[in-house]
Amino acid sequence: MIAFEHVSKDYHVKGVHKRILEDASYQFAEGKNIALMGHNGVGKSTMMRMIAGIEPPTSGTVRCSEKVSWPMGFSKGFNGLMTGVENVRFVARVYGCDTEQVLAEVQEFAELGPSLDLPIETYSSGMKARLAFGLSLAIRFDCYLVDEITAVGDQRFRKKSEQALRARITDSRVVMISHSERTIREFCDEGVLAYGGKLYHYDDLNTLIADYKRFC
Amino acid sequence: MLQAIWLQMRVVASLTLRETRMTFGTSHVGYLWAIAQPVISVGFMVGLFYLIGRQAPFGASLALFFATAVLTLDLYNKLSVSLMRAFTTNKSLLSYPMIKEPDTLFARLTLIALTFLVINALVYGGLMAMGWAELPAHPERLIYAFGTTCFLGFGVGAINALLYQRTQAWQHVEKLIARPLFFLSGVFYIPSTLPPEAVAVLKWNPLLHIVEWTREGFYTNYRSDVLNIAYPLSLAATLVIIALFAERITRKQRA
Repeated sequence: MIAFEHVSKDYHVKGVHKRILEDASYQFAEGKNIALMGHNGVGKSTMMRMIAGIEPPTSGTVRCSEKVSWPMGFSKGFNGLMTGVENVRFVARVYGCDTEQVLAEVQEFAELGPSLDLPIETYSSGMKARLAFGLSLAIRFDCYLVDEITAVGDQRFRKKSEQALRARITDSRVVMISHSERTIREFCDEGVLAYGGKLYHYDDLNTLIADYKRFC
Repeated sequence: MLQAIWLQMRVVASLTLRETRMTFGTSHVGYLWAIAQPVISVGFMVGLFYLIGRQAPFGASLALFFATAVLTLDLYNKLSVSLMRAFTTNKSLLSYPMIKEPDTLFARLTLIALTFLVINALVYGGLMAMGWAELPAHPERLIYAFGTTCFLGFGVGAINALLYQRTQAWQHVEKLIARPLFFLSGVFYIPSTLPPEAVAVLKWNPLLHIVEWTREGFYTNYRSDVLNIAYPLSLAATLVIIALFAERITRKQRA
């Protein structure tokens, strides 16, 4: 179960005050693959970070009783001075997984070869994203958070990632941010539109996409 | 509940391994250096005092007398300084929802305490092997004193971490407070033999009490008039409670 209860979220950056959510309540339906849409800067990624437990809301509660991934491709959790292998082992250990099995899966999926033994600070942003994506796939989550799957690597790797994700959602689910109609239709069952600090639920993807096009 | 404790232990254990890697690097030389440092500082002072021809203030061994104080101070300083930077250097870890900031403090505490157990064993073991020290008279007091140093260092370090996160200038203030401790903690003298006016001031230094406790543990007939074990213990408990509460209450604002 993932639910927002009267959640408000403010930002104060360099004197600029910004309110992203205002007393928003929303229940992410059990077991459904959910699209999260809205125009740029409306706070979709922030919402995702709140679901992942990385950022607290300013007021209200975010409830989450399933095992949720970090936003896929999100690589800020890596330590630049440690090697890829060390980072993978650490995360696997924290999540209580079999470290060597996770490592083997990441090795196969991320295709980073010998670079895995180098410190992460030497990686390009694409390599980091591959590693983070491979790592979140290698750990079994109930819910995968996907923030723009297109941000991950080149065309071929993106295809591979989509395929892996498709295989994964047979027994897990996704909450997905995307501006691409095709991706939304492929992965999601229903959706939510973020607009003006509130969240609006849509059972039907067609209306969601129509409203998204109209308002955003 | 049990599950939560288990999870936290797993998190702290993983973090401790990571800290080990970050502190000492991949080479064993890094770990050796961490152990060599306090040994060298005791050795340096013993050499200096030997050259100017001073006798040990108590007992037969100058080295043992210094070691009891220097090792305690080193452990305390290491904790208070290393914990101070725990929040700022580990910011990225908060991407993993099960890791909370206090876990990074517990991990550093675990690593430093374990390292100093090894250092203590090596230094005291070495002194005994050279015939410069006898077996401790009350080993349990050494353990209590060690534990209290960890406790106090953790409390001060945790408060340092909160203040340093708020303003990095805190590190200069911390240095100012920590610098005189070396002279105020009975490294070169027996506190009980000082004039009462001096004792009245020095007894406010909790580390002095812990050093005295350690010496009572080592020597058969070291009787301290200053030592009051309730003082460092209650001070440490107060600091730890304040730090953990303050961390929890301000967590949202600091995020």
